Amino acid sequence: MSRCFLILICCIAFFVLPAFNTARGKELLPFYVEGIAQGTTYHITYYAESERVSKSQVDSVFKSIDRSLSIYQPGSLINRFNESADGILMDQHLRNVVKKSMFIGRSTNGVFDITVLPLVQAWGFGVNRKVTPPDSVAIRSLLDCVGSAKLLIKGNYLEKRNACVKIDVNGIAQGYSVDVLAGFFETKNVRNYLVEVGGEIRVRGKKYPGASAMRIGIEAPAKTATDSQILQHVMEIPGGAVTTSGNYRKYHASDGKKITHLISPATGYPFTNELLSVTVWARDAITADGYDNALMGMGLKEAFAFLSKHRDIEAFFIYKDNSGMIRDTATAKFYQQIIK
Amino acid sequence: MPAKNVTRRKFVADSGLLVSGLMAMGLPVWRDQFAPSDKIRLGLIGSGNRGCGLASLLKPMPGVELIACCDIQPTQTKNALQYAAKGAKAYTDYRQLLQDKNIDAVIIATPLFLHYQMAIDSLAAGKHIYMEKSVSYDIPQAVSLAKKVKESKLVFQVGYQYRYYSLYHKIREAIKQNWLGKITHFECQYNRNSNWRNPVSDPKLERVINWRMYREYCGGPLSELCAHEIDMVNYLLDGHPVKAVGLGGINYWKDGRDTFDHVRTVYEYPEGVKAGFTSVLSNAFNGYNIKIFGDKATIEIQREQAFIYAESTENKKGIVDGVTGATIEATTQGKAVEIPFKKPGEEDVEPTTFAMRDFFECIRQSREPISNVINAGESSIAIHLGNMAMDKETVQYWKPEYSIR
Repeated sequence: MSRCFLILICCIAFFVLPAFNTARGKELLPFYVEGIAQGTTYHITYYAESERVSKSQVDSVFKSIDRSLSIYQPGSLINRFNESADGILMDQHLRNVVKKSMFIGRSTNGVFDITVLPLVQAWGFGVNRKVTPPDSVAIRSLLDCVGSAKLLIKGNYLEKRNACVKIDVNGIAQGYSVDVLAGFFETKNVRNYLVEVGGEIRVRGKKYPGASAMRIGIEAPAKTATDSQILQHVMEIPGGAVTTSGNYRKYHASDGKKITHLISPATGYPFTNELLSVTVWARDAITADGYDNALMGMGLKEAFAFLSKHRDIEAFFIYKDNSGMIRDTATAKFYQQIIK
Repeated sequence: MPAKNVTRRKFVADSGLLVSGLMAMGLPVWRDQFAPSDKIRLGLIGSGNRGCGLASLLKPMPGVELIACCDIQPTQTKNALQYAAKGAKAYTDYRQLLQDKNIDAVIIATPLFLHYQMAIDSLAAGKHIYMEKSVSYDIPQAVSLAKKVKESKLVFQVGYQYRYYSLYHKIREAIKQNWLGKITHFECQYNRNSNWRNPVSDPKLERVINWRMYREYCGGPLSELCAHEIDMVNYLLDGHPVKAVGLGGINYWKDGRDTFDHVRTVYEYPEGVKAGFTSVLSNAFNGYNIKIFGDKATIEIQREQAFIYAESTENKKGIVDGVTGATIEATTQGKAVEIPFKKPGEEDVEPTTFAMRDFFECIRQSREPISNVINAGESSIAIHLGNMAMDKETVQYWKPEYSIR
């Protein structure tokens, strides 16, 4: 009995007293939540007087998203849709992501299209990684299953016009997850945070002590085996989301030609252009993440033409020029955020 | 006792190699151009285990035929002839084989100490050469051979077949894409739990058959086993070591051998990257194994598989608060994730097949091989640095005169 009491006193001394101290001083302390989710890593930094969010809470947010959106999870809602003959009743996550995807699909004239999954699988980038590239006949027949026009949202019901239609929201789900987590921190009254999942980032507020702007490094492909300088640039942003789509990690080779995981829904073949990566800065991560893939598919010239008409997104590009040199370029407003 | 009686001189004399003076070989004659329909006609010099292995891989290949085999032991030649074309000739003296003007290219699969002279003679006879690793018995031979090959118009390829293996291509690509972060160390081992001997029917043949046991004929485990790994580290780092230290000994197989049964060397590459090469002949755990240590991950390469192990996901707080980049596939620290490497439609064949096919393509297209006299020569020089370090127990440096590029 007395031993339990002693433990209780210790607990109060360890956990409650420091909280009083910080509360009195109103000092914001950094808290880190890190782990593995969605086949990649996540890192969250937030500033608060005391711990507001635990790792298990963050992990349960990921779990609820994966149950809905992960094509890697058997029985997920998206997998059940893909296996269904004509459609499925959506939950909140699937509805949010499909609606946004269809919006981005329309505004990019179909360069971004979540119905591209049958082609992605045929090219060996799906859950099962095949290595034999599809022939033109196979691609032509798969194109019958591709195209957002074959998807219909009727209230909460997502209908497919052809049983072979399958969707893959991997190009946007990570950004969406970042937004869901940011929203979760907002509900906990956290106003200064950086949420990063697999290289997709959302920022609000500043870092403490010092109340300085958060800094984001933009990664670049390494030049040599011993190259430690992997950050191309460092940027400071007042808020919003920064995401990157790059084909320098996920590709395989066929006849000496690199096949990227970004497949054109129009032609059925991988996009081939000069771009190695696109980094997008936008209001929220689902927007940035949706457009980074589309801009990758467009190529540099078309991407800049698109950006001139969509002033709410800014972008940074790493590309190979005609002589094979790796260069970068960006929209003017994006350049203003770069500090080195 | 008789086994030790055969000296190197005697070995050479027995094999009919010590004929005084140069043989009248005539002017080099070779076909500059191969029509696609032309068969490349091959001669095999050295018909032992490796030679026969290579001959067996050649047999089903289109566009080539083995028309002569040579070995100082006629029984070995007979073994190799089963893979040769009808009417193929048998030789006991490789210089007679080189005189055969029908032969376009030779495959040299003999003990290491014979490589240099056989290569020089083959070049003089105008033959393209596929030579087993490693290139040379000492450093001056590697330097001299590089010069002579460069002066010739002939294709000279060395049997470092892993340079042709998509597994290593993938690893090199992964390194270039920074999967491992900054690399500081390689740890390589080529171990086996056996005396590494072949059976000897006649004690007089001990040194001929078990030449790997004797320094007179080769550089021991470093030149015969670790050579592949040294070549692969050179390939992955795009260079060669700058210095070497090492210790070696015979402390398990005390059976009359004088090459080490246990070696441990450490090489330093530019920018301070270290690579350890070990060969232990009394333990076979993980036999062939290369580990590459980076600050983001470790890659482990086995014979036909490679795995990546992520480092812990601890956020490195430095100049930035977050990093945006193409999504990195991650896993928990220490968990092995297999790296897929096969190209679409790639056949499941021994890497030597790819190496030999490319050798024939190089001949047809007058192209320099991937495993050429420069990078294979550099691997040889590295091997000798390691052996010298172990023998002298001092640091050995890559001297400017070793430059063969």
